[in-house]
Amino acid sequence: MKTQNLIETTDLTKQYGKTLCVDSLHMQVPQGAIYGFLGPNGAGKSTTLKMILGLAKPTTGSITLFGSPLKEKNRIRLLSATGSLIESPSYYGHLTGEENLHILQTLKGCPKEDIDRVLCIVRLEEARKKKVSHYSLGMKQRLGLASALLGFPKLLILDEPTNGLDPAGIQEMRELICTLPAEYGITVVVSSHLLGEIDQMADHVGIIRKGRLVFQDTMAKLHTHATQQIALRTGRPAETLSLLRRSGLEVTKEDDYLLIPMTDDNRIAALCRQLCEQNIPLYRIEKRENSLEDIFLALTGKETSL
Amino acid sequence: MKILMLEFYKIKRRKIGLTMAAYLIAQFLWGLWALHDPTPQAQAQGFLSLLYYISVLDAVMVPPIMAVLASRLADIEHKGCMYKQLKTLRGSGSLFHAKAVCGLLIITVMFAAQYALFILLGYMVGYQGHPDAAHYILSYGLKLASNSVLFLLQLMLSMLIANQMVPLVTGLCGSLLALLLTLVRTYSFLPWGGNLSGTLVTMAWNDDTQNAVFSYRLYSPVELAAVGMIFMWLVIFYAAGRILFSHREN
Repeated sequence: MKTQNLIETTDLTKQYGKTLCVDSLHMQVPQGAIYGFLGPNGAGKSTTLKMILGLAKPTTGSITLFGSPLKEKNRIRLLSATGSLIESPSYYGHLTGEENLHILQTLKGCPKEDIDRVLCIVRLEEARKKKVSHYSLGMKQRLGLASALLGFPKLLILDEPTNGLDPAGIQEMRELICTLPAEYGITVVVSSHLLGEIDQMADHVGIIRKGRLVFQDTMAKLHTHATQQIALRTGRPAETLSLLRRSGLEVTKEDDYLLIPMTDDNRIAALCRQLCEQNIPLYRIEKRENSLEDIFLALTGKETSL
Repeated sequence: MKILMLEFYKIKRRKIGLTMAAYLIAQFLWGLWALHDPTPQAQAQGFLSLLYYISVLDAVMVPPIMAVLASRLADIEHKGCMYKQLKTLRGSGSLFHAKAVCGLLIITVMFAAQYALFILLGYMVGYQGHPDAAHYILSYGLKLASNSVLFLLQLMLSMLIANQMVPLVTGLCGSLLALLLTLVRTYSFLPWGGNLSGTLVTMAWNDDTQNAVFSYRLYSPVELAAVGMIFMWLVIFYAAGRILFSHREN
């Protein structure tokens, strides 16, 4: 059975003046997924998420939410099943955490008990009576997540939710996000410029570069692109190349090195023996890893921090 | 209604009432100081003159007060980046409408309190007779309309522009413009001239008796058009604010 996509965008484009921020984006977020939306700063992640939430109007293209096309007329109805945390957490600094949640709970029309539940989930029960202006950045971020969780929506859109958190807070946030689909049936879209973060949380990933989606699939599929190779440097590369090819190996040249696919230890030993028998000096034999980072950097044009 | 109630809930601890009260108390104290020893002629037309004084004072002092009120209502969302959150839950138009109604209710109460204080002042300084209810009610209505114009203009600016210095400076400039207008003529088509256009009383200076003579105003057609303009501005600023805020991207 085909999984329903909660979000689908078709040719989604956003242009500010002459600047193209999002370019013909085809995004598909399956139900029940944690979709990591990955890309360097300024790649168009926030703009895309804002368009999905109706905060920015697409220049061209369309968005389908929960199977219905997103229009101004049905925007609020469709978004009633959505929670969001965009860029920085939203709050009223002069009100307490609880009062902030009361406002959003009233607007969302969800039960009052949800306030206690979400405060418990984000571990802010003790700070509920404290003014939000006195909260730390991490607490504000957690309050933002609590606000997004009110009403336990079907879809949660989180834009860089770990921004400003300390390492322990980041870990805590990740663990919390990972539990949401299983415990509450929430589909999560989480954006980040950090590959490691998405790798630890998401099961689906979309990689955006300069407004274009350069990769979209499962994390498992992305991992399959992470290959390992053996690099050889010898004194007579031309002869080595023909020897390797005669052995049935696929060989690529990179600078002074010859690269062959990762193979078992016995075959490597046999290759070394053959090189010695033909008096070809073997200077170096190395294991090369084309890691997830390499793939990401290749896809995003090395414009990111890892 | 739910959103309107939330607007009042949101302005908890914002001390908006205190700002309004401070303005009214300052006016009341000024009145006590300036009018405490009236001449017999001033006593005779005291309640009439009060309508004139209120209008002139408000023409100059209300623009920055409206700027402060609108800013206090709107900047809570700017400070905490709440507009983007609220716009995912409610239509932008209804958010502007709720803020507008909330502010208009506050100024309705504020100007009612102002009239009550000035009537009290009249009795305290010993003015003769009683205020003319019909003229006071009409004057109150026009005042409410002309200052609602200023409030809606300021609210539009405060909701559209995150930097609240812009609307505040607009309020101060409006105040200076109104001061200039009070020296030139008794009506204006500008939003800041509403308090003058809506004045029901005029003052003439009698050089022989060295006294001010107050009388109800006979509106010329152009002055009536200026009063009509107040209501035009009301519609223009409400519609402009609502439309511009709805189209603003976050």
